[in-house]
Amino acid sequence: MNTKLTTAPSVRYTWRIVDIVVASVIAVASGVIFWAWNTTHHLLDFLFLAFPPSSALLAGMWLFPAVLGALIIRKPGAALFCEMVAAVVSSLLGSEYGWTVWVSGLVQGLGAELVVALFLYRHWSLPVSLLAGLLTGVFGGVNDAFVFAWFPEYTAAMKLAYVACMAVSGLVIAGLGSWALTRALSRTGALSALASKRAAQERAFG
Amino acid sequence: MTRHLHTPPPAAARIRGDGSDPVRPAAISARGWGWQHAGREQPALLGLDLDIAAGERVLLVGPSGAGKSTLLHALAGVLQDDEDNASSGELLIDGQPADAAASRTGLMQQDPETQVVQARVGDDVAFGAENLCVQASAIWPRVAESLGAVGLDLPLDHPTSALSGGQKQRLALAGILAMRPGLVLLDEPTANLDPDGVVEVRDAIVDSLAHSGATMVIVEHRLAAWADAVDRVIVLEPGAGVACQGTPAELFAPGPIRNRLIDAGVWVPGHTPELVPRRNAGPRAVPLLQARDLSVARTPRVAPALSHADLDVAAGQGLCITGPNGSGKSTLALTLGGLLPERSGTVDAQPELLEPGATSHGTGGRVERPFLWRAGELVTRIGTVFQEPEHQFVTATVRDELAYGLRHARRAGGNERLHGDEEIDRRVDGVLDRLGLRHLEEANPFTLSGGEKRRLSVATVLAARPRLLILDEPTFGQDAITWRELALLLREELDDGVAVIAVTHDTAFAAALDATTYAVDPASRPAAGPSEVPAGGMAPASTAAGTADAGTPTIEPDARARSSFFGRCNPLAKLAAVVLATTPLIASLDVVSSTIVALASVLFLPLAGLNPGRFLLRAWPLLVAGLFAAWGTALVGNDSGAVLLDLGVATISEGSLVSGLATGLRVFAVAVPAVIVLSSTDPTDLANALAQQARLPHRFVLGALAGMRLLGLLAEEWTTLGMARRARGVGAQGSVLQRLRANAGQSLGLMVQAIRRASRLAVTMEAKGFGGRHRTWARQATFARRDAGLLAAGLALGAVATAAAVAAGTWNLVWG
Repeated sequence: MNTKLTTAPSVRYTWRIVDIVVASVIAVASGVIFWAWNTTHHLLDFLFLAFPPSSALLAGMWLFPAVLGALIIRKPGAALFCEMVAAVVSSLLGSEYGWTVWVSGLVQGLGAELVVALFLYRHWSLPVSLLAGLLTGVFGGVNDAFVFAWFPEYTAAMKLAYVACMAVSGLVIAGLGSWALTRALSRTGALSALASKRAAQERAFG
Repeated sequence: MTRHLHTPPPAAARIRGDGSDPVRPAAISARGWGWQHAGREQPALLGLDLDIAAGERVLLVGPSGAGKSTLLHALAGVLQDDEDNASSGELLIDGQPADAAASRTGLMQQDPETQVVQARVGDDVAFGAENLCVQASAIWPRVAESLGAVGLDLPLDHPTSALSGGQKQRLALAGILAMRPGLVLLDEPTANLDPDGVVEVRDAIVDSLAHSGATMVIVEHRLAAWADAVDRVIVLEPGAGVACQGTPAELFAPGPIRNRLIDAGVWVPGHTPELVPRRNAGPRAVPLLQARDLSVARTPRVAPALSHADLDVAAGQGLCITGPNGSGKSTLALTLGGLLPERSGTVDAQPELLEPGATSHGTGGRVERPFLWRAGELVTRIGTVFQEPEHQFVTATVRDELAYGLRHARRAGGNERLHGDEEIDRRVDGVLDRLGLRHLEEANPFTLSGGEKRRLSVATVLAARPRLLILDEPTFGQDAITWRELALLLREELDDGVAVIAVTHDTAFAAALDATTYAVDPASRPAAGPSEVPAGGMAPASTAAGTADAGTPTIEPDARARSSFFGRCNPLAKLAAVVLATTPLIASLDVVSSTIVALASVLFLPLAGLNPGRFLLRAWPLLVAGLFAAWGTALVGNDSGAVLLDLGVATISEGSLVSGLATGLRVFAVAVPAVIVLSSTDPTDLANALAQQARLPHRFVLGALAGMRLLGLLAEEWTTLGMARRARGVGAQGSVLQRLRANAGQSLGLMVQAIRRASRLAVTMEAKGFGGRHRTWARQATFARRDAGLLAAGLALGAVATAAAVAAGTWNLVWG
């Protein structure tokens, strides 16, 4: 049939219904996975009790939808939208952070969004994904430790340790995890209606 | 060939119709039309020439890959205007290009779960009409009329999640009728339903279209139910467009066309696939499994789905479990398969199942509970095949998939592998050849066709050579070719002395297995709740309110919360009130303001329809979070006063304990008001308010809402995936690393299902006209006097808390 034409920017940057619904379901499914993991992650609780700031090491689970949404949907605002939907879902389920989880979702989503915007929504390689995960962790950590200041009695060093733990968690769980999951999903053909359908064939460091 | 460019639908700023406009049947014409999906080597359709007159009823048939669904989606205007898709020729509805005529068409697909968009019956029927900008006052009469036309006599606020599969499809049809389409497109609307559901939905379709006079195009595999309801049958062939057409009587009469349809796997009325005779029929006198006075339930907290079952299964025996939907058939099968624990009574694996040959050696006597076996032991004894093949795929290639169970098979009680690598290769090669999957050995299992997936999922379980095979609705939605291959495969297993238990509605299939029947008696179901499972079987049970397990997450408030004072308030007003009340707590770390807000919130509990017990059920994670925050601060806070606890690296003193308590109380008090208020907030109301009053883009708000509706379904799918994977030999025990890997695989499986469902849901929404710039709202979000009062109360609470803290001298800014 006809040769492939370059895509008009309007198509590339416009959200279709399928993009919106898939993005929202990614956030919902992430919530389900987190809910299911909740029962097993108490294995790590002893670590957090000894050094409380390390609890941020698991926060990457909450940052996951931002990066995964960006990598799968590949439209402006996807990271932000997914993270916001995830925040709304968790607040409706009864979040331990009350309404502030909406603000946290916004801030964390912004972290990943900034990185993919910096790459003009054109590059979705492993380094971009890691960077997005890292920044969303830094944003989330700073938001928790300094803006909402959930731990006023922590020393500055401990607050920084909290931010660092969340950044590492973002890098590994949200950054690396989302990238690997996107490729695995692309191999199953589940992404066939989306801009990321050929993610598995792309070079990791493209 | 011209490139297909997406034409945006004309901006429908105009409010349409008063509801009395009659349905105008649509005519279809295709001239040299073709479509190629992105990334496919062959076009789905090429050079199609076709004319369908206004008001005609047409059945589209043909082998898989003939482009039937593609044609329906094109007519519905929902083919993705993706960069890499390409079309040729023209496809017109009443002389207009099909994608510009989307408001003239309605589309129904096969998966009932993704045909429903909204959480309440009335809203769901209204959804399409709203998107077409029908005047709000005209929508409700249309809703009532459409529900009547499909025979759904339910209150408008009835939860859609509590409907059976057949009811969901009728609801979808009502939503389509409310759009007054001139063309109704049906893509296998009854494929996922049991025989009763098929008749129920078929009758609703036939009756309502007879009334409206709209043109109908339907794609179906099982033709018997539809042959009398259509004027014309059109046969499509891959790459050939229309192969032949005629009345049902002409095409289905004995002759070359009928034979060609049979060869293509079409279920022609009156045809049952031929099977070769069995070589070793009949059960042996060797018992494998015995159930006595068995009660089964999906989760520990719900009422048993079935009670007092007595069953015996012997080697070489075929057994079919039959019964109406919701009678607990699937739950029984899962329990017999060692995937669910017995609620009461016993499931005993007999000596022959523990160790083949044990009975003849006379070493019998020992029995075991299959539920207690490790996954690696289970797969070599009992193999369970789930209804959805994708639930059981655990690797990235067909070859690995077949080898997986063999590699993970373990000797009872030990960690020693049961099979060597060479033996595994040999066995896998054998199965690949036997199933004709050799050319696909390196393919990803998820990318196979429906029939191939079904054969593979049976083969993966068979590869581990279990003595007992349990299958849930194995023939659902399968064409006649796959049906025959399955029947032959299972007959061979029976001949080899394997026992086969099948949950099935398919009487021809039961006959092919020479099966005895175990009819589940609905009367044996102790607590008659709402119907348990739509035609889902082992697929996730419906989120029916009455059966939802307390452990399943839900974002919908219950009836009591919805009718409470808070439940009737504007969601935005509620949120604003919570923000106003808790902002002082975010600004300051002090015990006084936190205590005031926490206590005041608890006093508001009755307004949210909560009693202290139900509140604690929702709020216990907050208590844990508060305690954790308190501990963290107490441990690391500045020490002063007497040392209470010395841990070496850190100490807890009186001073740090006080600041710890303050920190914990603050975390708790910020969260509690939001939990109380949100527990009474219906997501639909929140979305309506966000789109209508906060003016957020409705495409995103309603898209997100539709996605959230899948939460309960996905949570149940997670549980199902866990069982389906255990049946493949994926263990939930082992080292942390093994558990992580198992969890990661299960997460991938869930994401695949989530995205597939989301894609289908998006098609449903688009086919209902969703996505335009404008829409009307059948339900207006309102701001009443009580909402203003709520805002004032929130503000007052915040002010009182602040003033009290300042007066007490405890006010202490966290950023200071």
